[in-house]
Amino acid sequence: MAKILIVDDDAHIVRVLSMWLGRHGHEVVTAGNGGAALATLEREKVDMIISDMNMPFLDGVGLAKAVRAKSGPTIPILMLTARCDQQRLGEQLAMYGVRVYPKPFLPSQLVVEINSAFGGLGVAAKEGSVP
Amino acid sequence: MERESGAHSVQNWWKSFRGFLSAEEVPRWFGLSVVLIYLVGMGSIAQFGIAQARREMAIRFQGDSQFAVTLLADRLEAIEGEGPTDQKWLSACQRALREFAANVPSQSVRVVEGRPPWRIIASINPTETGTTIGARIAGALQPGGLEIATISSNGSEQRHRLLRAPLSPIPRRAGAGGGHPTPRATPEPGAEHYLEAILPLEPAEPTSLANQARLLAIVLAVLGALFVVYRCLREQLRGVSKIASRLETRRDRIEVDLASLRISDSLDGATAGWNELVALTERLQASVQRTEANEELSSVLQRSGGGALSEALNAIPDGLIYISDEVRFEYLNSAACRLLGWSASDAKKMTLTDAQANGLGLKLLELIRGAALPEGVFEARTEVLEAGDVQAQDLSTYRVWLIPLQRARHHGECVVVIRDVSQQIRADHAREEFIAQVTHELRTPLTNIRAYTETLSSGMFEDPKVITECYNVITKETRRLSRLVEDILSVSQLEVGSIELHVDGVDLKTLLSDGIRDVRGLADDKNIDVQLVLPAKLEPVRADRDKLAVVVNNLLGNAIKYTPPNGNVTVGCQVAADVVVLTFKDNGIGIDPAEHVKVFEKFQRGSNPEVQGESGTGIGLYTAREIVRRHGGDIEVLSEKGNGSTFMVRLPHRESRAAAVSPHARERWDAGTAA
Repeated sequence: MAKILIVDDDAHIVRVLSMWLGRHGHEVVTAGNGGAALATLEREKVDMIISDMNMPFLDGVGLAKAVRAKSGPTIPILMLTARCDQQRLGEQLAMYGVRVYPKPFLPSQLVVEINSAFGGLGVAAKEGSVP
Repeated sequence: MERESGAHSVQNWWKSFRGFLSAEEVPRWFGLSVVLIYLVGMGSIAQFGIAQARREMAIRFQGDSQFAVTLLADRLEAIEGEGPTDQKWLSACQRALREFAANVPSQSVRVVEGRPPWRIIASINPTETGTTIGARIAGALQPGGLEIATISSNGSEQRHRLLRAPLSPIPRRAGAGGGHPTPRATPEPGAEHYLEAILPLEPAEPTSLANQARLLAIVLAVLGALFVVYRCLREQLRGVSKIASRLETRRDRIEVDLASLRISDSLDGATAGWNELVALTERLQASVQRTEANEELSSVLQRSGGGALSEALNAIPDGLIYISDEVRFEYLNSAACRLLGWSASDAKKMTLTDAQANGLGLKLLELIRGAALPEGVFEARTEVLEAGDVQAQDLSTYRVWLIPLQRARHHGECVVVIRDVSQQIRADHAREEFIAQVTHELRTPLTNIRAYTETLSSGMFEDPKVITECYNVITKETRRLSRLVEDILSVSQLEVGSIELHVDGVDLKTLLSDGIRDVRGLADDKNIDVQLVLPAKLEPVRADRDKLAVVVNNLLGNAIKYTPPNGNVTVGCQVAADVVVLTFKDNGIGIDPAEHVKVFEKFQRGSNPEVQGESGTGIGLYTAREIVRRHGGDIEVLSEKGNGSTFMVRLPHRESRAAAVSPHARERWDAGTAA
């Protein structure tokens, strides 16, 4: 089981990811943009960050740079984006250890992706644990 | 008939002769004949002169010889002594003979007895003394002597003249031979002794007259040779002199084939200089031809209706530059002067090597200099140049074509075309951004629809609240997707001009209420309070309801999107005599007044980072304004950065729709109504 920070200005995305990750045994904390995420990281220690790319105030790239500058390469970051230049973005963010994941996505596949990052941790679903 | 033919031949001959003298082209046979006649003539004259001179000199030599022999005879007769028996007399005689031979070239001078066996008693040749002369020449001599042949030691025959003078009886009395010698043209028969002299027929060395005759022949031959050489060179010089005269007068175009004037380099080293002169003249000719062409072009420009062609070239929005072979900026149209900041008169004074410029001009010069090849021609280039204020990010983009002129393949002439493609580049960039934004905007609602659909279908979430929430999100995102597609469709219709207005009475209260209902979900997500403020009485307006709904949705959607959470949005409506004004007021991030125009342009969005952080395509306000304008109205915005925005939609009132609220409102309204 891991503690995952979900960062997105689209509340529906935050909500559906929270439901799915919670169902698969992960603890979820959320933020509406990059700045709020950094504030959350000041308070809490997380095992992974799932962030949207385009956000007001501080976008996904800014968040990744700030996290790497502060915490180093320890926290895995998965960047969700609906942009059409995903390949170029992936190459750009690879230097920060950030993996780009395209929108639209199926939550089930994204959960598999996340679990594989933790070596199968928290795969067991906990029925009724939706926040 | 024959007389006419003869006259014609003479004329032809005379014409050929004059042409020959003036080094013009004449028949080969005629030239050869003239040269042959000249050489034969010169040889004959020289031969005749030499023969005549020899004859005259021989006669004179003969007379002189005879006279000299007479003098010698007188001298011998004057020697005192006993005669041949007297040794003293013989010595004196021998001395006189030697002195004679020393002054007159002689084969033999001797004193011979006057009777057989004609013994020689004294001679310049010691071997002859005491010998006899033989009967063959002992006969009587004719006046002028006897011409005899002698065989030399090498076996060749030589001809001489034998002169003989009788001597008075020896010894003579002393003093009897004094005074002037007596002529002895005729030998006296029966004389006791004779003086014989064997002399050459003519002087051994050529005389000065013969020399002069030979010199004359040589001079004439040299003159003839020089004339032939002159004829050959004259043909070459004629082309050059023709060019020189035309270069001076420039009365007509020069089209002399100078290549034919070249001389084979194999002749000698001097021909290289000549060929270099011909090559130089060729280049000069080509230069003059181009100068004439340029002047002709200028003349055409001036003649064509007071510079109508020039005006046409100046009307072209692209910069046009013509560079001559002297890498001179020969012509710039008005657009080129404007783009480069040069004046046409100053540019004409510049050459490619000495021209100096800044900005676009400098980059253009570098391009042209880079395209100039060592052999003096240009290579074709097409490049994009950027120029402007880099710090202010006010850069313009120019596409430049450098086109070498085909007619001057061997000379450096070219045309440069400069086109300001900044607008096109910006439009292309905006279009690319639009596609990227649309892709993003389509994927965002699709992401939610897909995620919540799987949430429903997975069976993992059976809580009724969750299921309801999923349906609501799917419905809302589907509507969002639909609006986006509508916007894109509207833009497409506006682009091709195929948008149609289905005008009917539209109840504004219903229209605005439905619009608020559609965005209620978005507003609730951000806890934004949306208020509708309407007058008590609100008459329907004539409009296309669906199109007007797009306008309301776009303006309301923007108001909520760019208003921070917990903000306020107020929708209102005021009715004036001839116009209905719908207002959409928020207390959001606002718009910089400098961007009030830009935000209504297609694919354009505000540069505020908070705007860029939100999703958007840049077509919402453009679509809304175009739809309103097609209703005969317009949209205004009142806003300041950080102080919220108020968008006012002015629509012509039902009762007074003819009263336009925008310049083209009446026309558009009528068109829309008719449609």
